[in-house]
Amino acid sequence: MRILVSIDDTDTVKVDNVDVRGTGEMAQLIAKSIEDNGWGSCQPITRHQLLIHPDIPYTSHNSSMCFAANIESTYLNPLIDFAADFLACESAPDSDPGLCIAIIDRISRPGWLISFGYMAKNYVLTKENAYDLAEKLGIHLSEHGGTGQGVIGALAGAGLRLGGNDGRFKGKLKLKTKDNTITTGKICSQSQVDIVKCLETGAVLHDDELVLLGDWVKTILHYGQAVLPVSPVNEIGTGSPGWKTYSKKQMKDF
Amino acid sequence: MLYTNGEGEFRGSKDDWDLAAQIAEKCVEFKADDEDELVADEAVSCYNCRYRRWTVRSFACLNKAGFIWTV
Repeated sequence: MRILVSIDDTDTVKVDNVDVRGTGEMAQLIAKSIEDNGWGSCQPITRHQLLIHPDIPYTSHNSSMCFAANIESTYLNPLIDFAADFLACESAPDSDPGLCIAIIDRISRPGWLISFGYMAKNYVLTKENAYDLAEKLGIHLSEHGGTGQGVIGALAGAGLRLGGNDGRFKGKLKLKTKDNTITTGKICSQSQVDIVKCLETGAVLHDDELVLLGDWVKTILHYGQAVLPVSPVNEIGTGSPGWKTYSKKQMKDF
Repeated sequence: MLYTNGEGEFRGSKDDWDLAAQIAEKCVEFKADDEDELVADEAVSCYNCRYRRWTVRSFACLNKAGFIWTV
């Protein structure tokens, strides 16, 4: 069965030289455990930015992390138990972790879940809002410490991932090149990038088009695909790349 | 020069890349955040610091010990 695993509010700001795992790392460890236990296979993690507002308690950036996985149905309850214990034991002491696990094909009203995700990007929501919707849609939602406020972001993250049009993938792309220049075809064959696209014009690059890689190459979730966004290079010479990857500044709004 | 608006919030909003980098260069407590949370192309920038907490308009520094509020 196809599921979404989404978590939020597992960390706090690092204090007193004590290392605190970020929510992304926690999601990565859960995904790794699914695969190490032979429960199934996981897709890359996406980060979803939620609303920044004085009435919302968040650590530093209010984002949630989500990944899709394909597991045998018999492993669903063991996974829920494992993830719940993991968040309870491994989250930062002052955090408010929330866990959402949704079976994609059993979500009765997918649009409601997606809408909740976008609502959480624009409005202050409550735990009751989240629990009410999760119950209506038959989605597992649970809290594992502190105020449990993370259930809001966890449910929202699942909705935004399901919507397929929000957030960026965790981690940088590692591509083999000689001079930071690579064809679109090689980008897609060496990584989990589906397409390379200029978002300004909507142009999808052909396999033979050259791209200049920056030092922070990341993909976004765009219309259900892992998309590497690029911008045109102003001066194009013969054989030089016509496109370059986004800088951190360009990526910050995703 | 004052770097805050009096409420502990960076005056440069979310787009004063030069000022955020200048302050971080002078800050002994700068600590890069997780790679996934970096937003400034300058490696050392308050915008990339683990101690910055984004606000509606800007960010606040959560490590007052190291933050250089004025110079």
